[in-house]
Amino acid sequence: MFGYWDALYFVYVFIIGLIIAYLLMKWAERASSGTRREGEGAKIFLSGEDQDRVIPDFEHFRGYFTGRHVMWGLIRGINRMFIAFRREHTGLLGDYVSYLLITIALVLGALIIWG
Amino acid sequence: MNVLPFVIIIPLLGVFSLPLVGLVGKKAREAWALLISGATLGVTSKLLYNVWSTKETLVYTLGAKSPMGQGVGFPVRIVWEVDLLSAIMAFTIAFVAFLAVAYSIEYMRHDTGLEKYYVLILVLELGMLGIVLTGDIFNFYVFLEIMSIASYALVAFRNDTWEGIEAGIKYMFVGSLASSFILLGIALLYGQYGTLTMAYLAEKMAANFTLTAKIALAFLIGGLLFKSGAVPVHMWLADAHPAAPSSISAMLSGLVIKAGGVYVIARIAFSVFGMAVNLRTLGWVIIFFACLTLIVGNAMAVVQTDMKRLLAFSSVGQIGYILLGLGIGLAAYGTKVGEIATAGAIYHTVNHAIMKALLFMVAGAVLHELGTKDLNELSGLAKTMPKTTFAFIVGAAAIIGLPPLNGFASKWLLYESSALFNPFLGAIAIIGTAFCTAAYIRVLYTFLGRPSERVMKAKEPGMAMLLPMFILVGAIILMGLFPWQISKGVMIPAASMLANIKGYVLAVMGGV
Repeated sequence: MFGYWDALYFVYVFIIGLIIAYLLMKWAERASSGTRREGEGAKIFLSGEDQDRVIPDFEHFRGYFTGRHVMWGLIRGINRMFIAFRREHTGLLGDYVSYLLITIALVLGALIIWG
Repeated sequence: MNVLPFVIIIPLLGVFSLPLVGLVGKKAREAWALLISGATLGVTSKLLYNVWSTKETLVYTLGAKSPMGQGVGFPVRIVWEVDLLSAIMAFTIAFVAFLAVAYSIEYMRHDTGLEKYYVLILVLELGMLGIVLTGDIFNFYVFLEIMSIASYALVAFRNDTWEGIEAGIKYMFVGSLASSFILLGIALLYGQYGTLTMAYLAEKMAANFTLTAKIALAFLIGGLLFKSGAVPVHMWLADAHPAAPSSISAMLSGLVIKAGGVYVIARIAFSVFGMAVNLRTLGWVIIFFACLTLIVGNAMAVVQTDMKRLLAFSSVGQIGYILLGLGIGLAAYGTKVGEIATAGAIYHTVNHAIMKALLFMVAGAVLHELGTKDLNELSGLAKTMPKTTFAFIVGAAAIIGLPPLNGFASKWLLYESSALFNPFLGAIAIIGTAFCTAAYIRVLYTFLGRPSERVMKAKEPGMAMLLPMFILVGAIILMGLFPWQISKGVMIPAASMLANIKGYVLAVMGGV
């Protein structure tokens, strides 16, 4: 039905998903795929991630997830867009006022022509 | 008994009595502020129940029984006019404001000048309540200014830091200019049609829609887009909201940009100009700004390392969803798609108020305990602040739109209606969500990472701060578990009442 969604559907899917994940984990452990829960060389389930590597000049961040380098791939991937957005946010009052005037001009133009 | 006037009288009483009660002592002042905001929540609950159960628009005339002048057939008095949308907004404002006051008791404990703080927080609540209740366009402007002036002062409340003062001054200067455009729009309408009553104005414009009215509408929409924090007039928001105390940030991002921005856009577009203007054009104008807001707001959130600034940009992004729903509601006026989009916008307005209030309270708790909001210094926070982290996870999951939380319920309506209206818009909404997810996953990874030395010193905040957060967590989960019931029982009827322009006009004008 249009506009319809029931939370219970998600609960069912979530429970089924948990069961499947548990079965997969048990299968992975038995198949000796390298998953280790504790100790040296512990790997995250199924992801196969290696231990933290020391990045030159970032030794002080070793073992920490920081706001700066998590998701760096995404940020780098569309870096130009972010640079453009950041450049526009100058913090200058004159720019804020200019954008307000541009917005009003755009709305006014659209309403006069098509309104 | 008509509870409508008490929605304004109670906070007004609180504002004037608080300095006197404060003479008794600090605890008395806090208790009085809590009592006043609690009583306001009580009367708004009753108001919401009354409007919801009868599905009738309530009208209250100040100083008389009827808004009509003696011997004339048109309204001359200030009216308050409350339909289901207004009642929902009033309840949401009172609910979040009550929790913000409760949270402030511990959060603001070490600050000075608290007698001003509690007065200003009640003034802010009063202004917002007035905006959503009034049926008079100049009265709306008065309440808008009450709200705005309280916001400027609260942003700069911690005047021992340059950040607060700079943000407060910028917000005040540019905000005043936006308010001036709104006032100019109102003045043009009054000059053209000779009335300030919204319902009568709608009737007059339907009969004769002039170029002056179009110019007035452009001024109003431009000024209100600014107040909503829509792109490209969002920059003040990213400066002001993080600078304020977190209890105030919760109200600014959760309530102020909605009561003083998107709600008024909806009211003006549907109830005042709905019978006159080309709704398709107006709808597409709002959709255009909504798409910009969705992308820029959420994308800018990804690259922030200041937690509160990230949340502020996220608010900009979420306003994009609300504007998208409203825009589609206008452009597809009279269709099922339009109705569902409007219902989704109203639903997301309420949900975002709750989610963002929670997230800012979490940021406040972190700042309160650690003295920093820099994500680079918060690695492993979950180890020492597990309850706060849990509250953040719920809030973040809800704002991303993860089922079965409330954010998904409202976003679902918006995705579905936008995809049916124009698949391109549906795709933009999904891209916005991808950025939103990236932004919050960064924070989650940071919180769940290996604890840093600084974080190891942190501890959970006290019960006075945790309790409001967990009430909001409960609301998010509860609203997510009954999405269809809320949507069908409250949000779709609210959208129908908003779209019933003649009903809004007739409630004031009667058979005239």
